[in-house]
Amino acid sequence: MSIDRLMIKRNVPFSLYDVDILSATDTELNEISSTMGLALSLDEMKTIVDYFKKEGRNPTDIELQSLGQAWSEHCCYKSSKPILKEFIFAIDHPNVLSRGDAGVMVFDDDYGYALRIESHNHPSAIEPYGGAATGIGGILRDVVCMGAQPIGLVDPLCFGPIDTKKEIPKGMKHPHYLVNGVVSGIRDYGNRVGVPTISGGFFFDERYTGNCLVNVACLGIVKRKELGVNYASGPGDVMILLGGRTGRDGIHGVTFASADLTSTSDEDSRGAVQLGDPITKEPTIHACLEVNQKGLITGMKDLGGGGLSCVVGEMSLDAGGCGADVDLEKVPLKEDGLAPWEIWVSESQERMMVTCKPENVEKVLEIFDMWDVLATPIAKTTDTKHTRLFWDGEPIFDMDLEFLTGGPVYNRPYTIPKVSTKKDEKFPDVKADNATMKAMLSDLNIASKEWAIRQYDHEVRASTVIHPMVGKMNRTGPGDASVLMPVPGRYKGLAAAVGCNPWFTAENPYNGGRACVDEACRNIVAVGARPDALTDCLNFGNPEKPERLGEFREAVRGLGELCKDMNLPIPSGNVSLYNEAPGGVGILPTPMILGCGLIDDVRKAVTADLKEEGNRFFIIGRTKDEMGASLFFRKFGGKGGDVPGVDSSYLKLMIDKMLKTMDAGLVRSCHDCSDGGLAVAAAEMCISGQIGLKMDLSGMGDMCAERKLFSESNTRWVAEVREKDVQAFKEIMGDDAVCIGKTGGDRFIVKGTGIDLSVAEIRKAWNDPIWDLMGGGWE
Amino acid sequence: MKAGDVKVCVLRIEGTNCEDEMYQAFKMVGADPEKVHLKQLTGQVSDSLKRDIEDYDILAFPGGFSAGDYVRAGAIFAARIRSAIGPQIRKFVESEKPVLGVCNGFQILVELGLLPGLDDVMSNEPTAALYTNDSARFECRPTLLRNDNRGKCIFTSEVPKGKVLMIPSAHAEGKLLSMDPKFVDRLEENDQIVFRYVGEDGKDAQYPWNPNGSPSDIAGICNPAGNVLGMMPHPERVLTRFTHPDWTRGYESEEGDGLVVFRSVMKKLL
Repeated sequence: MSIDRLMIKRNVPFSLYDVDILSATDTELNEISSTMGLALSLDEMKTIVDYFKKEGRNPTDIELQSLGQAWSEHCCYKSSKPILKEFIFAIDHPNVLSRGDAGVMVFDDDYGYALRIESHNHPSAIEPYGGAATGIGGILRDVVCMGAQPIGLVDPLCFGPIDTKKEIPKGMKHPHYLVNGVVSGIRDYGNRVGVPTISGGFFFDERYTGNCLVNVACLGIVKRKELGVNYASGPGDVMILLGGRTGRDGIHGVTFASADLTSTSDEDSRGAVQLGDPITKEPTIHACLEVNQKGLITGMKDLGGGGLSCVVGEMSLDAGGCGADVDLEKVPLKEDGLAPWEIWVSESQERMMVTCKPENVEKVLEIFDMWDVLATPIAKTTDTKHTRLFWDGEPIFDMDLEFLTGGPVYNRPYTIPKVSTKKDEKFPDVKADNATMKAMLSDLNIASKEWAIRQYDHEVRASTVIHPMVGKMNRTGPGDASVLMPVPGRYKGLAAAVGCNPWFTAENPYNGGRACVDEACRNIVAVGARPDALTDCLNFGNPEKPERLGEFREAVRGLGELCKDMNLPIPSGNVSLYNEAPGGVGILPTPMILGCGLIDDVRKAVTADLKEEGNRFFIIGRTKDEMGASLFFRKFGGKGGDVPGVDSSYLKLMIDKMLKTMDAGLVRSCHDCSDGGLAVAAAEMCISGQIGLKMDLSGMGDMCAERKLFSESNTRWVAEVREKDVQAFKEIMGDDAVCIGKTGGDRFIVKGTGIDLSVAEIRKAWNDPIWDLMGGGWE
Repeated sequence: MKAGDVKVCVLRIEGTNCEDEMYQAFKMVGADPEKVHLKQLTGQVSDSLKRDIEDYDILAFPGGFSAGDYVRAGAIFAARIRSAIGPQIRKFVESEKPVLGVCNGFQILVELGLLPGLDDVMSNEPTAALYTNDSARFECRPTLLRNDNRGKCIFTSEVPKGKVLMIPSAHAEGKLLSMDPKFVDRLEENDQIVFRYVGEDGKDAQYPWNPNGSPSDIAGICNPAGNVLGMMPHPERVLTRFTHPDWTRGYESEEGDGLVVFRSVMKKLL
């Protein structure tokens, strides 16, 4: 069937069609949606028909394309909004300075810090290098348009196992190729724009083989009096388009992101992947910050998903219900011959929009000219609440903004998932011995990520106080949070750490969501900072499947409730649904959290590497029989078991106590217990400190050594305390800290088990696996 | 001359990205730094923004990826400088005013022909190159540098010979090569070798202590007159102890190891 009869070419010297939806049948409406790549459902198409019936005319192709963008899951959160509203948006906090394109929190009396995370999953699955690079580009713009200088990037990534021998789903790419491409993309973009990549994470599981996740986060710093907004000041503002030219790259990016990947996504959607150019971005950042500092602009917003079609409407509507008149032919293009609708929805990179008063246009243009950054006035705001587009004066688009941006919201059906419990636990037949210990440390989820970390510049801007890898030079190990000292001359620090456990979330979404928050908090506290705010990227499957939406709802409920209890605001975030490989294999449900914390004096910060011989070694928190979804179970074939829960009042108490000991300078080193439990945390501290440790777990109660060592109960740390400070440390911690060992020698020994290994052996087990797979190891 | 009268031109174009910390470094030693875009020196801006290189006492090239470094690192920046203000730059160097290039800045100085400068203050063609690291990767890691200069370089006047400093590296192209088979010997004779990478025992550096495979472990060199220093590692990233990667393991001074480079040049000027 063809819809040709419904596409009526208008007699103008450029490409424009009126689309006869008023006379179209249901089948034809579906056909229009799919042929034009709108990804709108029949019901949504009918709503549009009703609107144009009232208008007494048919839409143009550009109007329909604009609706396809604005009503995509990516842009209007139509499946997730009711759930987010219930559990996330409700958390209020006086220190939230803005919930704009990036969240902004109080840093100190003069400064705020910006935070935002988002996903770039589908583009990276198709074209890992470009997808990851443009992910960085996009998140930088979100921070810049708050008027904030970007100061740190964080990139948590999920892939299939690098060494998988299993068949790769048709049309998908091998994890080894994806890992290489994504890391190179982050490196070449992040390093070039001069923003340090300070933290991140790698999560490997077969369930990411068909749909990798590339989440990117950015932190920024802004003088509170220069904090910007993302909208115009009212009618009569001029909209100036900045940065890159507009081309055919990145068309339909948001609709591509709002559907499952298919075996032909590679060929069909290559054009949806944008091309990044950090050397247009770098001066654009300078110029944008300068016009903001000089008070020449009224608002700033980045062109991301949906391109111009989204930014023009949002900047004017949010300015107290304005509209805008756009001269679309003025948009600078990469090539001739783009149809107006292509220009309107293109997601070409490196573009920003600023609004300013007419009298400041020349001054703004001069600053961009100085940096050789293209800047073109293309629109002005009006008091009509309508977006109107003109091409050389010919009207081609006239829509009510409330209708355009007021996309549908669905309360889709969901089913509450069954959770893993102790009742159906099957404990693997494995003992705590040297082979087990080495296998745990060699698991790709534990093993050293130095291959990637050292390709990222994590020190540019000279404010990195706690680095992603800690310990002895060229013998470093994993850290917890990274810490920045963003204002020169001030010792106040900003800590950042990822928290995420997709395996917990798969087996018990509610507990999993909570565990992600707990882990982010633990990491922040482990360096001596106080958790202050979170930003979350919720990566889940197809929300039209009730069991997937149930996972989403439970995970969001878990993390939202915990944040509310903890009084931790989430001033920004992102939802990425439809993460499914061809054939409907869903990813692990992955609520990726970036936690931020504050530390008044970075000189009191603590790192995870063991410092000296002869110190006492403590476990802090309650180690419980919670083996469900633990690395130990996953690795050795355990089944069922309770998934670790979080007690919010205990977490609050432990944070207070731990920070008190650190503030008093009682803690020489500290590390959080996460994947692999106590055993892995303790071993990692030996690996980075190059000091041995002798542990005796008898003070930890009656459980078997395997449970004590490998349980992944939340709200736990291990810490090194000097003999002379033990008394003071215990006075603060009480029964919540138990001494389980002493540092010294060059062996890692757990009394009463078969674990007795040299530090060199555990380092090798941990250090080599990813170097061996990716190449370039030297130890 | 008072410290506050020392005017420092921190020169940048698009892709220069270490200018804030370079600016901060000179600020910390009391100088009067200014971030200047190359277009401000070449006159392609409005009058109020125009600057003259002659008005500055120190010229600093920060790190980054100038113009993207999509051809040889530093080549585009150097070509733009040479074509627009080549003679003024030569005059600046001939008058023995200090010039510092760090990382991409070092690459630019080599592309400009200001380093190694064996046969002329500013050669028409580059006579050396900073080549791709042996690992073929970007390497961001701490490095230990030993001051091997016998006294000619004005940026190390306050560093005892043989002293080892921790100054971090972050580059993909840092291996200093020349066609001249006697290259290292000539540098040595002229006292042009300033910093060498060393291992943790203070001796010859193997990878990763020498992060790029530079022959003779060379990390930084000066010109024969000693007023131009180019180095791959970043002293401006360790102005305080608390950006050292291992400061939590103990330290003696809150001053970072990199500050002495800036203190040294100021001492020479005042």
